[in-house]
Amino acid sequence: MVKAYTQEHVYKHPWERVTSASWRKFADPENKRTLSHILEVDTLSHKLDSLSGKLYTTRALTIHAPGPWFLRKIVGQDICHCVESTVVDAQSKSMQLTTRNISLQKFIEVEEKIRYEPHPENLTGWTVCRQETSIRIKPLSALASMAEKVEQRCAERFMQNSVKGREVMERICKYLEAESGGIASNFH
Amino acid sequence: MGMSKRDKKSSFTSPCAHLRTAYHNCFNRWYSEKFVKGMWDKEECVSEWQKYRACLSEHLDDKHLSRFLEAEGIVDSATQGVKNPVDGVSQ
Repeated sequence: MVKAYTQEHVYKHPWERVTSASWRKFADPENKRTLSHILEVDTLSHKLDSLSGKLYTTRALTIHAPGPWFLRKIVGQDICHCVESTVVDAQSKSMQLTTRNISLQKFIEVEEKIRYEPHPENLTGWTVCRQETSIRIKPLSALASMAEKVEQRCAERFMQNSVKGREVMERICKYLEAESGGIASNFH
Repeated sequence: MGMSKRDKKSSFTSPCAHLRTAYHNCFNRWYSEKFVKGMWDKEECVSEWQKYRACLSEHLDDKHLSRFLEAEGIVDSATQGVKNPVDGVSQ
């Protein structure tokens, strides 16, 4: 029982700016209200391959995911820890994020893969984001009998949150654009 | 995945919040001003990272998460072992 969803979005900003925005997405206080389901983000590991220009990072995301009461009763908690592993290749300009839940794994497995690359039609100006989400309810878990419903709800929530995520990304990109270009000329 | 986690809410690493902000700010600046512009040969924010990480390893009580911290320790020592001991060619 696996459900998979893919989404694609084009940012009209260069790859460097979009991936910078991606790092700031959860941390920016102004966005905390929009992405209120993200409670905390901690960097657990960080490794730079200074020869090839590859950066490997692992972060812990603490997510607030309140469900209906019966779900909370079964699961026993409404916060969930996820681990996000990121590989950025600065040379080939690709950023790939993979996020998996590490809490509640005996009930459900959610995996989200996001990839940012320069857009083939405008390599220096645009960035394409491909997002793939798969949701799997464990067959013998207490949730199995209502798997269909839970998967549906879970998927809806993911969709809502990724729309919010895109709005935040667009906002940070605009901010970074202003910071890199606009400010200098404003002061003259 | 203990049920006791319910009471802890979000603040499981908040004692490290200041160090976390310092590190993330430094990292974000390094990423957008150096790393993506091809200047990836030099690691920055090292002292911020060490302070933050030390705090995390003290306060991260979730065993699923601390596994990832420990895993990094192993990678660290492994790469340091391989590191070339050629002296200063920084210029």
